[in-house]
Amino acid sequence: MTGYPETLAAAVDLLRGLPRDRTGVPDAKRAVAAWRAAHPESRAQLVPDIRPGTTTVDYDLLVDHPDGGTVAITASVEDGVPWTIDHSTHWAASKVLSVDDEEISVQTALLTLRAHAERDRTVHDDLIDHCIFQLETAGEPEPSPEELQRASDDYRRRRGLYSRAAMSRWLEEVNLTPEAYQNHLYSVARANRFRDRVERESARTYFDDHIREFDQVSAVWVLGPESGLAELAGQDDPFSAVAAAVADLSGELTVQVADRMAAELPEPLRNAAEGSAVGPVPYRDTFLFGAVRRRRPARPDAVALAAAGRAAFTAYLADRRAKARIRWFWL
Amino acid sequence: MILILSSEDDRSVDLVLRKLLERGIEVYRWDPGDFPVSARMTSRLVGGAWRHTLVTADAEIDSADVSAVWIRRPRDPRAASDTMDPGYRRYVERIGRIFLDGWEDTFETRWFPARLGVLIRTQSKLVNLAAAAKLGFTVPDTTVTNDPEGLAVAWSEAGGRLMAKEVEALPYNFDGFGNAFYTTAVTRRHLTSRHRLVHAPVILQPRVDKAVELRINVVGDQVFTAEIHSQGSRATLDDFRHYEGTFTEYGVYDLPKDLERRCVELVRSLGLDFGCIDMILTPEGEYVYLELNPNGQWGWVEEVTGLPISEAIAERLAADERPAVQGVPA
Repeated sequence: MTGYPETLAAAVDLLRGLPRDRTGVPDAKRAVAAWRAAHPESRAQLVPDIRPGTTTVDYDLLVDHPDGGTVAITASVEDGVPWTIDHSTHWAASKVLSVDDEEISVQTALLTLRAHAERDRTVHDDLIDHCIFQLETAGEPEPSPEELQRASDDYRRRRGLYSRAAMSRWLEEVNLTPEAYQNHLYSVARANRFRDRVERESARTYFDDHIREFDQVSAVWVLGPESGLAELAGQDDPFSAVAAAVADLSGELTVQVADRMAAELPEPLRNAAEGSAVGPVPYRDTFLFGAVRRRRPARPDAVALAAAGRAAFTAYLADRRAKARIRWFWL
Repeated sequence: MILILSSEDDRSVDLVLRKLLERGIEVYRWDPGDFPVSARMTSRLVGGAWRHTLVTADAEIDSADVSAVWIRRPRDPRAASDTMDPGYRRYVERIGRIFLDGWEDTFETRWFPARLGVLIRTQSKLVNLAAAAKLGFTVPDTTVTNDPEGLAVAWSEAGGRLMAKEVEALPYNFDGFGNAFYTTAVTRRHLTSRHRLVHAPVILQPRVDKAVELRINVVGDQVFTAEIHSQGSRATLDDFRHYEGTFTEYGVYDLPKDLERRCVELVRSLGLDFGCIDMILTPEGEYVYLELNPNGQWGWVEEVTGLPISEAIAERLAADERPAVQGVPA
């Protein structure tokens, strides 16, 4: 067993030998874990401090003092690099992409994505949710091999990456190392487990509290210009009116017939009573006219509870986003 | 004739060139980076004065015909690609530099903004900060040091609100990437690598709170001031160049007349005919001088504010010129 001064000196030597590039952080963590195993009384913990806009990492090492309390150590070696250069910023720190000579900054990229995003979700929501998942799953145990496999299968299926060659090509295209991909899967697997748990635990309560959302509804609806839909709405029987419009079409209408849960219908129809008609009302970038043919009360079967779980999780995330302190750095 | 010394990709030159040509003035643009590769230069001492000739692929310029030289962003002399040996290349480029320095120094004409030696001297923040302080500008308490222990001292004296700047912005690679040291707020973390200071000095100043940043462009007696609303974004909080782009708001600023006069005086006192001065307007309404760049970029200021800087430079350059094509007197 070594004394405290020796432990401290060894800790400094350890710190001075750690890789300073951000890609070396996993190696640094492994080195510290091994060192801690040899010096268990230190209860050493490595705190990487990744500087924004650079590839450089600083470290603090936290160790216990024999008389109680924490000692924080940092060490910077003399390697001849001037201070201004060591603390400089990568020229592309604010860039996401360049195409030929055209560069796109982080802030412009976020704005561009917002402009191009569909109306329901934006990449901003996805990024916020990513942070929420990271926060909520921080204490989760490591994913099992089965969970990792499921995450990988889902990921590859969604992108059509069925062969090893296609997968390698894709990793190269998006500039992702296999290690980085594995790390990503690790997060995805933990997020999946967290989502499954929230869905499972809150499905029944959500179902009971929002029971009408899970009614099985048979409905027909038409999307198109307001004037055309107003003509349909003026008829006594909306179903016959829609059928006649389809048979003798002039102009352009989108007609949809469905038998599904109320929550999955266009919003204006979700609470409509059996036999009632709705519209024309503004809907997305057009107008909607619709009618409910049949509405059967919800039953808590497996399909309805699964849908309730998903809805509960969406509501949970919306609530979590609303309560979070969100700070966009480049907007 | 007006001779412009700058690299081909210097777009600010294009703005002025157009205006000179519109005036019917003969202009030749040449990059000293093409010397000696594709240019022949001859200097003859005749009757105690040097007469210089520059021959390029498309022109022969006699120094006697040049009424003004505008030195903008010339590249350094460059050895031909068939001079492979690194030692020979260094020799060729060093000789080229020494010759060009002499050429510039003995080229008797009007130099805008000044001869290269003056530009290099006044680019030094030590020189232009002292000149500004002498003329009564409010200047931050400034330390320039490579003493590692000086860093923590300055940080404490600034109450932990210390800013660091390079003595001069030079290009370099770090871990294989082009990096830059922008004006940086010094944190406690920065202090832990104080030993690195010994390799290169740094400028340390207490943080000055900003309402807006001002870029003051002096051309002769004319002053064009742009305001930069750098405080609206975290990215540009400390250095508006950091992530400059479409997100920063710019405008034309009406500088108090007395301050305008002192800016002109400062530029003139440094032996310059042009200068870009960076100042801060504090939330309390105080104007604080930061630095002067004797050959700073002004094209972007004109682009975002519409201030007619290129027109003023063209006018200044053409002061001693008559259009090459003139009407015949009756």
